[in-house]
Amino acid sequence: MTGSTAGAAIAGLGMTELGKVYGRSPRRLAADAVRRAVADAGLSLADLDGLLVSHGTSGSPGVELAAALGLRDLRLLTQMNAFGATAGAMVAYAAMSVLSGAASTVACVFADAPLRPRRSAGSAYQRDAAEWYGYGGMTAALGFRSVNAFYALAARRHMLRYGTTSEQLGAIAVSTRQWAARNPLAQMREPITLADHQNSRWVAEPLHLLDCCLVSNGAVAVVVTGADRARDLAQPPVHLWGWGQGHPGHRRERGSDFGLTTGAAVSGPIAMKMAGVSVDDIDVCQIYDCYTYTVLVSLEDYGFCPKGEGGPFVASGVLGPGGALPTNTGGGQLSGYYMWGMTPLSEAVIQARGHGGDRQVPRNDVILVSGNGGVLDHHSTLIVSPHPKGA
Amino acid sequence: MDIGILRRDGRTDPFFDGAAGGRLVIRRCAACDRWLAPDAGGCPDCGSDDLAWAEASGEAALVTWTVLHGRPADDGTVPPPVRLALVELAEGPWLHARLTDVDPERLREGLPLRAVFRHPPEGESYVLFEPR
Repeated sequence: MTGSTAGAAIAGLGMTELGKVYGRSPRRLAADAVRRAVADAGLSLADLDGLLVSHGTSGSPGVELAAALGLRDLRLLTQMNAFGATAGAMVAYAAMSVLSGAASTVACVFADAPLRPRRSAGSAYQRDAAEWYGYGGMTAALGFRSVNAFYALAARRHMLRYGTTSEQLGAIAVSTRQWAARNPLAQMREPITLADHQNSRWVAEPLHLLDCCLVSNGAVAVVVTGADRARDLAQPPVHLWGWGQGHPGHRRERGSDFGLTTGAAVSGPIAMKMAGVSVDDIDVCQIYDCYTYTVLVSLEDYGFCPKGEGGPFVASGVLGPGGALPTNTGGGQLSGYYMWGMTPLSEAVIQARGHGGDRQVPRNDVILVSGNGGVLDHHSTLIVSPHPKGA
Repeated sequence: MDIGILRRDGRTDPFFDGAAGGRLVIRRCAACDRWLAPDAGGCPDCGSDDLAWAEASGEAALVTWTVLHGRPADDGTVPPPVRLALVELAEGPWLHARLTDVDPERLREGLPLRAVFRHPPEGESYVLFEPR
């Protein structure tokens, strides 16, 4: 079998109900998302010859999802995990498989169900115990029980070094909510002001509640296939122009860049070079926004503004509706839905297809999709477009 | 934030032996002498996994910090905030730490700190950092 010579494209997008969705296991949610993605593409499950699976905090599903879906004779099946960078990594692996001929039609899925009825969203991502074991247990016992504290340390470091302010982070919360207000899929659509951001309770200073993303149950899947084949399917193809990863391995010692730079500084140039574009060519950004700060530091590392000038850049209004760099146009993870790296990817597919409705951006020729995993430990970047690469 | 009870895990016991005696005991690469955090698995410089335990000075400087606020309870009461930090030991490693006896107005990058130890009635001793 020879691979696609016309490039690879996303042909299908499947999303379950997202948010406070109870009563379905992560595996069931994942299966539903794959079925929807396949149907969206105008394909059937039997057309899949590859499946890439990733999960969130629930620890499920894994490769057993293939059996749950009744898939037979797959040529590609594995579970992948680079945390928030996984979605981009899965799509890249699927694209490389399609280009090499290892597989022809690959579904990539993420599912999670951390929310439970009558339990706070924050507690879904927090460790708690009466007894703690070893040095790592002591660190958790003393307060490092959720990722909030780690990101707060990173955001503070950026503030100390570059003078970034809470109000500048708030500008991201406000512009992202402006987009969410136009997205029927978003969980939080009520407009907010900078004052609302400043008055929202502290979670971990310098991060307010409105600096932090949502927690969602649900699943999202995409189908990757050859661009020539995608052209004949049910949806407008979303062409994969470039991909890259960056894993800086920040050390925990004197001289570390923790909080100041991310793997986007590596993954971005790789993906853009492969795509044959520069940062000036990017029309829209879909950037992993577990926190407002993550957007700011990622934008710097991609080169949309000089290092350290992310604060003034985002406060200029450039990211919101009508701005020069529309970013997180579905409301992101802050206001839309938290499906890890599938949040930015799903909105990129919607925008590339021109299916954004009230939030559709006027220019969607080159879209950057950014994933971030761990505490700024893992980055993936995709460059996608409605147009075939090189056309 | 209730700390709970600390137990040994068989991998970092020398740290707790040190804490019980008021000493900050961390890892040190036997091959290249580099100091590392107590939970380091190997030396990132020379690749050796032969890490010894050694007593650090306990002197540190503040790198960055956060004030962690608990979620308000249904009756509106709020748990007391906790000051958490990355501290840079004089020997070089960074530790995720809790600060104590610190005036919030004095928090700044580079603030000199020292390790202090707490010995709860049950479970292992632990380390906090305070201004020096």
